[in-house]
Amino acid sequence: MKKIQGSYITGSVTILVTGHKPELFFQKCVKRGVPVWDIKKQGKTECSGKVRLHDIKNIKRIRRETNYKIAFIDKSGTPFLLKRITRRKEIVFGLLISILLIIFLSNIIWEVKITSVSKDTEKKIVKQLNNYGVHPGAWSLSQAPPSVLQQKLVNDIPELLWIGVSKKGTTYYLEGVEKSIVKEKEVQGPRNLVATKKGVIKNMYVSKGLSKVRVNDYVEPGDILVSGKIDPAGESESDKKKNEGKSKYVTAEGEIIAETWYKTEVTVPLNANFELLTGEKEKKYSLKFGDFKVPIWGFGEPEYENIHKEINENPINFFKWELPINFVETTLNEKTYNKVKRTKEEAINVGIKQAKSELLLRLEPDAKIISEKILQETTENGKVKLILYMMVEEDIARADPIQGD
Amino acid sequence: MKSLHQRIGPWLTKYLALPSDVILELPRITMIGQIHVYIENHQGLVTYSETELKLKTKKGFIQILGSSFVLKTMLPEEILLEGNITEVKFLPG
Repeated sequence: MKKIQGSYITGSVTILVTGHKPELFFQKCVKRGVPVWDIKKQGKTECSGKVRLHDIKNIKRIRRETNYKIAFIDKSGTPFLLKRITRRKEIVFGLLISILLIIFLSNIIWEVKITSVSKDTEKKIVKQLNNYGVHPGAWSLSQAPPSVLQQKLVNDIPELLWIGVSKKGTTYYLEGVEKSIVKEKEVQGPRNLVATKKGVIKNMYVSKGLSKVRVNDYVEPGDILVSGKIDPAGESESDKKKNEGKSKYVTAEGEIIAETWYKTEVTVPLNANFELLTGEKEKKYSLKFGDFKVPIWGFGEPEYENIHKEINENPINFFKWELPINFVETTLNEKTYNKVKRTKEEAINVGIKQAKSELLLRLEPDAKIISEKILQETTENGKVKLILYMMVEEDIARADPIQGD
Repeated sequence: MKSLHQRIGPWLTKYLALPSDVILELPRITMIGQIHVYIENHQGLVTYSETELKLKTKKGFIQILGSSFVLKTMLPEEILLEGNITEVKFLPG
């Protein structure tokens, strides 16, 4: 039985044997090791049976030794089926084209849906996405993965607090959360201005309220700088006593510029390495089946000395299913390694600059650094460690409401 | 040598319970109702028609009678016959 199993795949032929005692022809075949099945006697001198397609050669050889006549009356199996299909080239061609077309259309972005953001922001997102090349009709195989898009969008659109990007089939879904800018509430009503940091007052502009300190006074955090409580003016002691409890409360307003001090620490390496992309790049495309990669465009390695590789992998879709084939875009960027050697003075300068910009980031925008002083400087393991003392001029006033007394 | 073989055969099947068809070179006939006959260990086909199948064996012939016979498979020493079987006969050669 085993021998005739799978005969549909390899193909089988029905033969009709004519002659005296035709069954003996099959007996001969079997003796030669050619399996025959479905043998039927059609008449006294006719007998039909099925043999495998690749046994036909042997059958013909056996027939030559006898005087039976053989006719092939039927054939079945995939080899014949394939032959019939391939004979109609138009059908095969059309089938191939339609599969390619479906694959092509399945890998195009059809829609970009943006939800839960205002119209304005939506427009901005669409504009940014267009810049990245994500828009309906774009080829989705060379797109960056959603997580990268997400990060890019958040960086490029300041109004966005967060955005979720997901790709479902041919549609990109974006869900955003906008930043709502909350303005700090101004304290209304009676209030004082209080120092937030210790420092020496340099300048005072008081538009409302009674100033309690003077230029060149040293203040600690929490000290009242401008009072909102105005005692009625009186020359004598008796007047003051009379008017006690009748003091007026105002909303103190003003700007108190004071000199404050900061101690910062920076370390600057004497030798620094950094990589720089030269802008020269080459792109390669390939198809990846499991672990096997077939390049389709971009052969040979570019003649760059150092290469920064960027690999972007996207699965190919067929309708909504992902095929086990990945489209891989590899970008090879030329890069150079740069080495910088600094002298100690240069390192110190770099350190000071760095410390200044770091400090300015922490301070209010109108703060100014007026001077810096190096307190300590050590060189260790090829690094210069600096402890700096900075003098800053900034507004130290903060509104503090007067609780009803 | 041959006589020894012929003598030792029945003894082996009797005392060692070895399958008799292998030792004695007899055909093994398996039937499923009256629709299938499966014959192994035969020596060749002699006649085949819609109503009769005759096979050669070591000691004679096996004749199977019935109607609408089809040889479902035919391998060197096996035959599967399908049809409506009425008789199985052993004819001395």
